[in-house]
Amino acid sequence: MTAEPEPIPNNDQELVARTQEGDPAAFDELIIRYTPRLYGLVYNMTSNHEDTNDVLQDVFSKAYRSICNFRGKSSFYTWMHSIAVNMTINFLKKRNRRRHPSLNDPDSNIENDPDFIAAISRGGPANEVSVHELQKKLNDAMLKLSYEHRIVVTMFDIQGMPHAEIAKILRISEGTVRSRLFYAHRQLQNYLHEFKKP
Amino acid sequence: MNDESMHHIIRLKRYEQPPEGYYENFLREFHHRQRAEFLKPPLTTMLMERISSFLSEFRVPAFAYAGATAVAVLAGVAILKQAPQSTPTISYTASYSQPPVTIDKLQPVSLRIGTPDQPQPPLFPPSFLLQARPASHESPLSF
Repeated sequence: MTAEPEPIPNNDQELVARTQEGDPAAFDELIIRYTPRLYGLVYNMTSNHEDTNDVLQDVFSKAYRSICNFRGKSSFYTWMHSIAVNMTINFLKKRNRRRHPSLNDPDSNIENDPDFIAAISRGGPANEVSVHELQKKLNDAMLKLSYEHRIVVTMFDIQGMPHAEIAKILRISEGTVRSRLFYAHRQLQNYLHEFKKP
Repeated sequence: MNDESMHHIIRLKRYEQPPEGYYENFLREFHHRQRAEFLKPPLTTMLMERISSFLSEFRVPAFAYAGATAVAVLAGVAILKQAPQSTPTISYTASYSQPPVTIDKLQPVSLRIGTPDQPQPPLFPPSFLLQARPASHESPLSF
């Protein structure tokens, strides 16, 4: 099983330097560049669009306040993802204390997504399940995972990040990433056992 | 379901996208929130953020707050119940109405226990006390 890595922008450093020199337009460029990528990360952790938007706004706000302290020891990509992961997990802990997340709020756009429909109509274990039900089951199964397991599944299986990059962002070893993935997949197999082929 | 098909199913979640026009509005909303943040005192914001992130590390069960409140109330009631009532002030004024004891009023004592109404016959010759012990004699019971 191999994940398809997404391209990592390599000229972030110039935009970061311009932001540190006081050019807000450079940070706007970084926001435009990183919002889609971080949206997927946060959304697949929260399973809620409004929560994702709030967390993302806070993530960029914190990054903007702290960017003067960014010394480039890690890449900007790793740094931004670390902030997003930490703030998302903190948000989820707070949300869990307040209420249980609603699972009746799946993103309705997916049902009309031609890529998604094509992907499930190609056959495979999910071909007899309605799109909406599959999406709900997936969200449900993901939310049953612990934060540590959910984040590695999100980064590896959904976002296609390599193990080494996940390890750097989460500040754990690659072995730990693999072990968490293995355990998370086993748990997901149990939750999604009804999608088994007859 | 093997690991490959599991990966395939989970990978479908990448098709979940935000509503149309979300990314275009996101930057506008960021600028709007930034301007709103400037109106707040930054020190307070930072302090609250740090406190909330520090507290979020702890997992406090919901009933702990109720339990802590109940303990505090019970402790308060117990303290109030044990508070001393208004006691009459005691006067410690010394009284010298008794005449001072003089040496010639001291009486000889005996080590035998007995009531004053039924005087026991003395086994030992009378002696005077010196620092609560007979000066001329020690009872064998004192060992």
